Amino acid sequence: MSLLLRTHYRLAYDSIHQNRTRSFLTCLGIAIGVAAIVLILSLTGSIQKIISYQVTNTGSDLIVIRPSSEKDTTENILETLTSSNQYLKSNLSLEDITTISKIADVKSVSEIAKSELTVSADRIDDNGKAYTSTINSASVIATNPAFIDIQKLTLSSGTFLTNKNQPNTAVVGHDLSLRLFGTTEPVGKTLTLLGQKFIVIGILAEADDQLNFMNINFNNSIFVKADYLSTLENNLQIQQINVLANSKNDLSKLSTEISEKLRETKNDDTNFSIAYGDQISHPASGMLMIVSGMLTLVASISLIVGGIGVMNIMLVSVAERTHEIGIRKAVGATSGNILLQFLFEALILSSLGGLGGLVLGYILAFLLSVVTSFAPYIDINIIGITLTTSVTVGLIFGIYPALKAARKNPIDSLRYSR
Amino acid sequence: MAKNSVIINLKKITKRYGYGDAESYALKNFDLKVKQGEFIMIMGPSGCGKTTLLNIIGLLDQATEGTYLLNGESVEKISHHKKARLRSKKIGMIFQDFNLIPTLNILDNVTLPLVYAGKTKLTREKRADEILDRFHLQPKEYYMPDQLSGGQKQRIAIARSLIAEPEIILADEPTGNLDSRSAHIVMEELKSIHSEGNTIIMVTHNPSLTTYATRVINMLDGGIDTDIKTVADKDLPEPVKIHFNKKGKK
Ligand SMILES: Nc1ncnc2c1ncn2[C@@H]1O[C@H](COP(=O)(O)OP(=O)(O)OP(=O)(O)O)[C@@H](O)[C@H]1O
Ligand SMILES: [Mg+2]
Repeated sequence: MSLLLRTHYRLAYDSIHQNRTRSFLTCLGIAIGVAAIVLILSLTGSIQKIISYQVTNTGSDLIVIRPSSEKDTTENILETLTSSNQYLKSNLSLEDITTISKIADVKSVSEIAKSELTVSADRIDDNGKAYTSTINSASVIATNPAFIDIQKLTLSSGTFLTNKNQPNTAVVGHDLSLRLFGTTEPVGKTLTLLGQKFIVIGILAEADDQLNFMNINFNNSIFVKADYLSTLENNLQIQQINVLANSKNDLSKLSTEISEKLRETKNDDTNFSIAYGDQISHPASGMLMIVSGMLTLVASISLIVGGIGVMNIMLVSVAERTHEIGIRKAVGATSGNILLQFLFEALILSSLGGLGGLVLGYILAFLLSVVTSFAPYIDINIIGITLTTSVTVGLIFGIYPALKAARKNPIDSLRYSR
Repeated sequence: MAKNSVIINLKKITKRYGYGDAESYALKNFDLKVKQGEFIMIMGPSGCGKTTLLNIIGLLDQATEGTYLLNGESVEKISHHKKARLRSKKIGMIFQDFNLIPTLNILDNVTLPLVYAGKTKLTREKRADEILDRFHLQPKEYYMPDQLSGGQKQRIAIARSLIAEPEIILADEPTGNLDSRSAHIVMEELKSIHSEGNTIIMVTHNPSLTTYATRVINMLDGGIDTDIKTVADKDLPEPVKIHFNKKGKK
C-alpha cells in the first residue's frame, strides 16, 4: 500500500511538473486565499499578544471594574463593538473610588474617564507671529494621581498629577505634545480645554505600545484630574476603575469584597463587572475574535474560489488523460488506483498552494509590520489551520474529478482519440 | 497448470449494442474453448467482432449474454477489483496502436503492470532490464515513446504485456501498423514466447502470418466461420516459465 502511495505521489508530481504553468496558476489561487487568512490570523494574533502583554505588564495584581455587562456574552461583546465604550451610560462614580480606597487590602485606586475634546494652545510660528494651535478630538483621560503607579508609566519631564497643587493641571503624552506645542518640553505652558486653562506640569515618556486593553494610546492623550474635570463637564462617564492590590494573592477574595462593598453603597446596583488576571482583556479579545472571525469568513470565499480552480484544472487533466486512464486500466489499474492518482494530484496542488500562501501571508504581514507597529505573529496553530484547510480544500474539490476519472470505462477510454 | 487444460471457455457469448431499431450484434452466440499453449490467429472482415472478442476475453468488456469461464471460474462473479488484478498479473494485452503512455519513459511504460501488481521498484527495474535486454531495447530505457519507431514501440508494448509473466497474451493486430520487416521481428518474438508455453490469441488481417499459429479461426458477423487446428493438441508446447517463478504463483 505504501508502495502504491509513493507511486501515486510520483505520478502526481510528474503530472504537475509537466504542466508547470497551469499548476502554478492553480496553486496561486489557493495561495492567495490562504495568504489572506494567514495575514488576518497573524495580525489578530499580534494584537491579542499586545493586549495580554499589557495586562501582564501592568499587573498581575490589578483588578479592573467596568460598568454594565453582566457576563461576557456574545451579545455584550457585539454591543461594545457597535456602541463604543465611551457612550455607554456608566453607573460608576467618583464616590465608588472613595468606597474602594477604604478597603484594607487595596493599595491604590484610580478612575479612567476618557472623552474626546477639543484642545488648543497658543503658539508662535517661525516668523514670530502668535497663533492658536488646535486639536479637534484629543483623547482626554480624567483620572487621579494614583494612575501613574497603577499603569506603571514614566515621565520624561515634570511631575504627574498630584493632589497638592492647583486642580487645573495637565500631563500630556509624547506625540500630542509635539502636535500641540511643537516641542516635547512644554512644562509650564498652558492649554485650553472646555474653555478653561490648564497648566502642563509633566510629559510622559514615549511609550512603545500603541495599543492596550483600555484602547488608550498614551502617547496621544492628555491627563487631567477627574474631580476637577467633573466640575466642568457634569456628565463625566467613568469607563473603568483600576485597583492595585497589596498582594498578588487572593485577588479573587479582594474582588468579592470590592463587589460587596460597591453593592452596599450603590443600593444593590449590580451593573458593573470586576475582572482580574486574564479576564481583564476579555472584552477586547472577544471583540477581536469576532472581527477576525468575520474577516476570515470573507477570506474563505477566496479560498473557495481557489478550490474551484483546483477542481477546474483537475477536470481538464482528467479529460486530457482519458486515453492514459484507459491504458492504465487495461494493464491492471483498479478504479481505486486511478482515484488515488488524481486525488493526490489535487492534494499536492492544494498543499503547495497552502504552503505558498503561508509564506506569502507572512511576507505580507512582515511588510505591514514595517509600516505599522504590529509584529507578525507566528504560531503553530496558524500553520496547522492553514495547512489543514488547504488539504481539506484539495480533498473537497479534488474528489469529484478523481471519481470521474476512476469511473471511466476502459474500452471507451482506450478508444478516445488524443 | 496441467498441459492442454482449457483456460478460456466461452459459452454462447453475445455482445449487443443499442436497443430496438438501433440494435446490432458484435458477437452472437459465440462458443470458444482455448487450451493452454495454443497460438490462435483470428481473421475476418472488418467489423465482425474480433476486437470485441479480445476485450471480453481480456476482462476489459463484459458480454451482454452467455458465460465466460476463466480457469474454470465464471468471470461474472469476479469483482472489479479482482478483474483489475487479473489484468495486471494473468493477462497481457497488445494493441494495434501500441497504447504507450506518451508522458512516461520506456522503463516506466514497460513496468506499469508491475506497479499495479504491487511490485517494488527494485523488482520492477530488474525485470525491466531482463525483458528489455531480450528485445534489444535496453539502451532505449530512458527514451520517450515519441522517440521510437513504430516497430520499436510495438516491441515495447509486447515487453509490457509480458513483464508480469501472464498466462494469456491477447494481441489485436500487433503488426497492423508495421512494415513487413518489423512485422517479422514482432512475430518471431511472439513465436518464441509461445514456444515457452504461453497461450496467445492474436487478431490479424495478414493471411501470411497464419503459419505461426497452431489454430486459425475465421470469423463472420459475430460468429465463427471456420476453425482449423494446424497442430495437434498433444504437440502444443509445454508450459515452461523462464522468468523467476519461485514465489507468488498459485
Ligand atoms: N461502443 C460501440 N457502440 C456500438 N457499436 C459498437 C461499439 N463498439 C463496437 N461496435 C460495433 O461492433 C462491431 C464489432 O466491432 P469490432 O471492433 O469488434 O470489429 P473488428 O472485428 O475488430 O473490426 P476491425 O477489423 O475493423 O478492427 C462493429 O460493427 C462495431 O460497429
Ligand atoms: Mg478491431
